Amino acid sequence: MSVDPVPSNSHGHLDEQISQLMQCKPLSEQEVRALCDKAKEILMEESNVQPVKSPVTICGDIHGQFHDLAELFRIGGKCPDTNYLFMGDYVDRGYYSVETVTLLVALKVRYPQRITILRGNHESRQITQVYGFYDECLRKYGNANVWKTFTDLFDYFPLTALVESEIFCLHGGLSPSIETLDNIRNFDRVQEVPHEGPMCDLLWSDPDDRCGWGISPRGAGYTFGQDISEQFNHTNNLKLIARAHQLVMEGFNWGHEQKVVTIFSAPNYCYRCGNMASILEVDDCRGHTFIQFEPAPRRGEPDVTRRTPDYFL
Amino acid sequence: MENGNEEEATLKAAGAEPLPEGRRGVRIHGWEIESRNRSILNSLTYEQWEQKIQTSHLPEMVFGESSLVLWHLKSGIKIHFNAFDALVGWKKEGLPPVEVPAAAQWKFRSKPFQQVILDYDYTFTTPYCGSETIEKNTEHGKGNISDQGSWSSQWEDCEEKIDIVALASKEPILFYDEVVLYEDELADNGVSLLTVKVRVMPSCWFLLLRFWLRVDGVLMRLRDTRMYCAFENNTNPFILRESCWREATFQSLSAKGFPSDSAAYSDPNLISQRLPVVMQKTQKLKLPR
Repeated sequence: MSVDPVPSNSHGHLDEQISQLMQCKPLSEQEVRALCDKAKEILMEESNVQPVKSPVTICGDIHGQFHDLAELFRIGGKCPDTNYLFMGDYVDRGYYSVETVTLLVALKVRYPQRITILRGNHESRQITQVYGFYDECLRKYGNANVWKTFTDLFDYFPLTALVESEIFCLHGGLSPSIETLDNIRNFDRVQEVPHEGPMCDLLWSDPDDRCGWGISPRGAGYTFGQDISEQFNHTNNLKLIARAHQLVMEGFNWGHEQKVVTIFSAPNYCYRCGNMASILEVDDCRGHTFIQFEPAPRRGEPDVTRRTPDYFL
Repeated sequence: MENGNEEEATLKAAGAEPLPEGRRGVRIHGWEIESRNRSILNSLTYEQWEQKIQTSHLPEMVFGESSLVLWHLKSGIKIHFNAFDALVGWKKEGLPPVEVPAAAQWKFRSKPFQQVILDYDYTFTTPYCGSETIEKNTEHGKGNISDQGSWSSQWEDCEEKIDIVALASKEPILFYDEVVLYEDELADNGVSLLTVKVRVMPSCWFLLLRFWLRVDGVLMRLRDTRMYCAFENNTNPFILRESCWREATFQSLSAKGFPSDSAAYSDPNLISQRLPVVMQKTQKLKLPR
């Protein structure tokens, strides 16, 4: 058991905020600012390769699907009873990015040793302006201050984590500019996600069936083959690379002969895909168990199976 | 329940009936119109499709078992919309890749040993405008595909236009649905989306198949196919099909004084008029009497 840096007399207020957030009710703008100030102090002390102990439950993309995050906690166990490692993409696409990211940051401040929140490619100023979080902040707060507060905080989120020195966790994937974990430890992460370079690769790249490095036909973005994963795991004494970033129907998908696994934790993604979600439990003995789950029963969310007729032309 | 009864009465007054056994759709004036909305393909089927289409890349969301089918019972002609045929069309068209803005910076990046530049059309642009088969209605309600020799499914160019004025009149909608066929987020560089919407009224059915592409900061493509069939032409029944393809670069829109940020282009309905037309044609399919 480790001692939390926040003095216990301030926990009462934070606990109240957490139970408010658990009911999907956002905090006030002032509360968000104060919360993010505290979170920043904690996150800036974390490493680019944040060490994490087992047991821990590793989770993939959430994308503002708050009720499914609540379901995830029901299935995986409450924080801090269960330790969690989230691999990014808390915001955009879903309807409750604000509540989702506020809850995760509040849990981080309350239980800094119990939960690790990595940065995904959506935790960025540029992406959130196109894919929903910015608009949601405007809608829920009437101005962009909360968006600004959060996107400034995202710069401090760690990029990768290392569970018991053998499971390397990150949002996207490997980079041809990175051979060792020390390469990652050495760079300055506190910035907007760049369009190019190693930090961009860690948040954006994808594993592929093809060997070697591939460049996407978009002209930007790497894919890495099994040979690359094997070499990286060998060089760094790793057993597994756990990553998120891509939708998979079953909620998890092994690749590269079990050197890489993709975990996706947003069931029925975008409220229409019908996919399962999953989380990966790593126990005390470093054994792995995937737990799949379906969407939480919905209240008041649009159900796409019943569409309103419109006189389209 | 009251609402349900009301719906039933409206259908009955129009000479229509809902499809049985929980299927979504209607029977009306000798047509059976049915939609199916299902989940995305599972990993196994997804891989089988990759092999069948001979590609190593498909959209991340392929609603492979979703479809819209409009079946003319008397002739057996089936107009249907499905992801598989649309993706076969994509593979065949094989447009060259479109580079995203970040590609400019990537050109100066030192390249790793042993790298390959992948070259498929990641936008999944398709010329697809629907599929046709002939399937005779048998007593058991099960169809069988007959050879097309007896009837040639020929779309002919024509001068007629879809009667938009008639469509704008607020006739009751007896059946409505939207079916997503495939979708890709272009790895957060925009959107590629193929959907088909249908509405059935007492006098006609109308549908819109839309391929919508936005590559953030680069270009937008809108490929619309509209089909219209009036029930009144019972002596000479036909379907009209209008295709309208539009395309514009962000650069050209910005030059015209329109916004150039991607967030301003999330709804194709609102901005379609800003995109210049690059192809337009109207065709007619005569149905056997």
